[in-house]
Amino acid sequence: MTTTALAGAADISIRLDLSWVDYLMLIVYFGVVISIGFIARSRVRTSMDFFLSGRSMPAWITGLAFVSANLGATEILGMAANGAQIGVATLHYYLVGAVPAMVFLGLVMMPFYYGSKVRSIPEFMLRRFGKAPHAVNSFAFAISNVLIAGINLYAMAIVIEAMLGWPEWVAIVVSAAFVLVYITLGGLSSAIYNEVMQFFVIIAGLVPLTIVGLHRVGGWGGLKDAFAKTDSVKHLSAWAGTGIGNVTNPIGANWLAIVLGLGFVLGFGYWTTNFTEVQRAFSAKNMSAARRTPLVAAFPKLFIPFIVVVPGLIGAAVLGNQLAGTSDATHLSYNDVIPKLIQMYLPEGVLGVAVTGLLASFMAGMAANVSSFNTVFTYDIWQRYIKPKMSDQHYLRVGRYVTIIGVLIGIATAFIAAGAGNIMTYMQTLFSFFNAPLFAVFILGLLWKRMSPAAALWSYLAGIAAPTIVWIAYLNDPSLFATGTAETLYGAIISFVTVLVVGVIVTMFTKPKDVSELKGLVYGVGKIDMSMDAVVGDTAWYRSPVLLGTVALILCVVLYLPFV
Amino acid sequence: MTETTTTPDAAERARLVRSTRRFDLRRLLGGLFLLYGIICTILGIVHGSSDLKQTGGIAINLWAGIGMIVLALLFFLWDRLAPVPEEDILGNLDREADEKAAGEGKQLG
Repeated sequence: MTTTALAGAADISIRLDLSWVDYLMLIVYFGVVISIGFIARSRVRTSMDFFLSGRSMPAWITGLAFVSANLGATEILGMAANGAQIGVATLHYYLVGAVPAMVFLGLVMMPFYYGSKVRSIPEFMLRRFGKAPHAVNSFAFAISNVLIAGINLYAMAIVIEAMLGWPEWVAIVVSAAFVLVYITLGGLSSAIYNEVMQFFVIIAGLVPLTIVGLHRVGGWGGLKDAFAKTDSVKHLSAWAGTGIGNVTNPIGANWLAIVLGLGFVLGFGYWTTNFTEVQRAFSAKNMSAARRTPLVAAFPKLFIPFIVVVPGLIGAAVLGNQLAGTSDATHLSYNDVIPKLIQMYLPEGVLGVAVTGLLASFMAGMAANVSSFNTVFTYDIWQRYIKPKMSDQHYLRVGRYVTIIGVLIGIATAFIAAGAGNIMTYMQTLFSFFNAPLFAVFILGLLWKRMSPAAALWSYLAGIAAPTIVWIAYLNDPSLFATGTAETLYGAIISFVTVLVVGVIVTMFTKPKDVSELKGLVYGVGKIDMSMDAVVGDTAWYRSPVLLGTVALILCVVLYLPFV
Repeated sequence: MTETTTTPDAAERARLVRSTRRFDLRRLLGGLFLLYGIICTILGIVHGSSDLKQTGGIAINLWAGIGMIVLALLFFLWDRLAPVPEEDILGNLDREADEKAAGEGKQLG
């Protein structure tokens, strides 16, 4: 066995010792994944079935898929790393950065999206503002998404190599092959069903880890004591040191920048305009289910930090001085916290569940990118600009081929990333600049019927350019911002303001769209049928979107109370 | 609304309802967790003492195993009490013409 050989370096290895039972669990899971692909395939008759599940899904499935599409393993490992590094301030990413935006999507924006029957986010751009901004948005989304799929694939390969000892290229090819098979077979339905399954499995893996971890450090009290002795970061207070002019918190931003940058601009930008997420709601069976999708998702999102950030805290308490920003000969990287705790605390059996959950969430993350990429490519690029007016079967076939091509580009990207890691980090940061300006354009366009198509195009482009310039300035002079995260927050705010200013100015000098073309696309213009395709039971009190949204927002405040 | 040329007959419809319900996601989830739960419970019994050493005194496989079996039963129960409504399954079938029109981009300008 390698265990003895590694004993000297065992402290910083995250290699897991899987038994045949654990592998059996893994194999069973991926057997079910492929079966779901075949089951979903039997229901794909039209391109709408393939790309949007025929708009037939109930809210509980789309809601869990909505939260799960974001619960990729990079997210889980990253948020646990944040927990270890900056402590419960990581809650901001959930309670400020996600849930309010999800509530806003369900209550305010979804009626416009679902009511206008658009098939993608770029298509909403097309309906509201016309071809030029649509083309920019479609290409930006398609290109960035397929490359992000590749970057995720590479991130996954590194962790799989460290945990299971598979060579990187094997991890890349095997994972991509699974995604390829089940998305090509069943399209979005495959992706969504697997996301729901992954959601439950990752929870079944992380709950035991949290329980054993907490037990090992002597419960919450023990965790507190551990930090009381050594803590320089204030791991257990979320808002300490965020006063304006008195910023001493590890994020390096004051409370206003956190709320506006992370919460309003980045959070709203990501959750309301990122088609990878919103696509899940578009597949819902009626207006009520579409609106409830992000609201159903908000509730698990509220509680996920307790099984992700808490293990991060446990890691900080137990592993303390073994942790560093990047791993080296004597240190673990913060990203390794969850795998390390799994190795330390989980015996054969629950170990298999946890590893299956992590691998599943890696794959689900990539599948979500691929299934939104193929939709935008087929409907917004191929059908709109290359081969319009073909039969539905043609677009279904194109969708399947594009899926294959998308996965292949993803694999190529992953291999390039393996050779040039830094370029990929830069690209990932760059792509994160695409959401904030899109949200700003949409919100202006939704509220202001005069906003012209030219204004949308130029403000969108300016909103991408502005944070890019700020970011390049920061790369050249790191003293501009306290941390990289702070740069992202301020960059997002700058992008948002740029869009508003450019949008208003250009609108003043250009021709608006005729009001008759804006029905159901702008606030107060035309009416949206809120009971579209309603079924009996949609009116039950516990299915009221306003009630669900309000409760979620109240919980956002309540969950902060223990950590002020 | 245009009628599809290939309206499936009653037998075809009944078959579709059956096959959709047979592979309901809740049954797959129930099956998966039942298997995982049984495996973990057995391991929890067989490896009782070595588990306790690693976890510091919690029989985690036993607890997780029982938890997953309960979860599985809840999925089966939910599936039994609230099967997918027939009109949801068949409605999709009847909308094929509309879906094709949507797929071809005809609803949009």
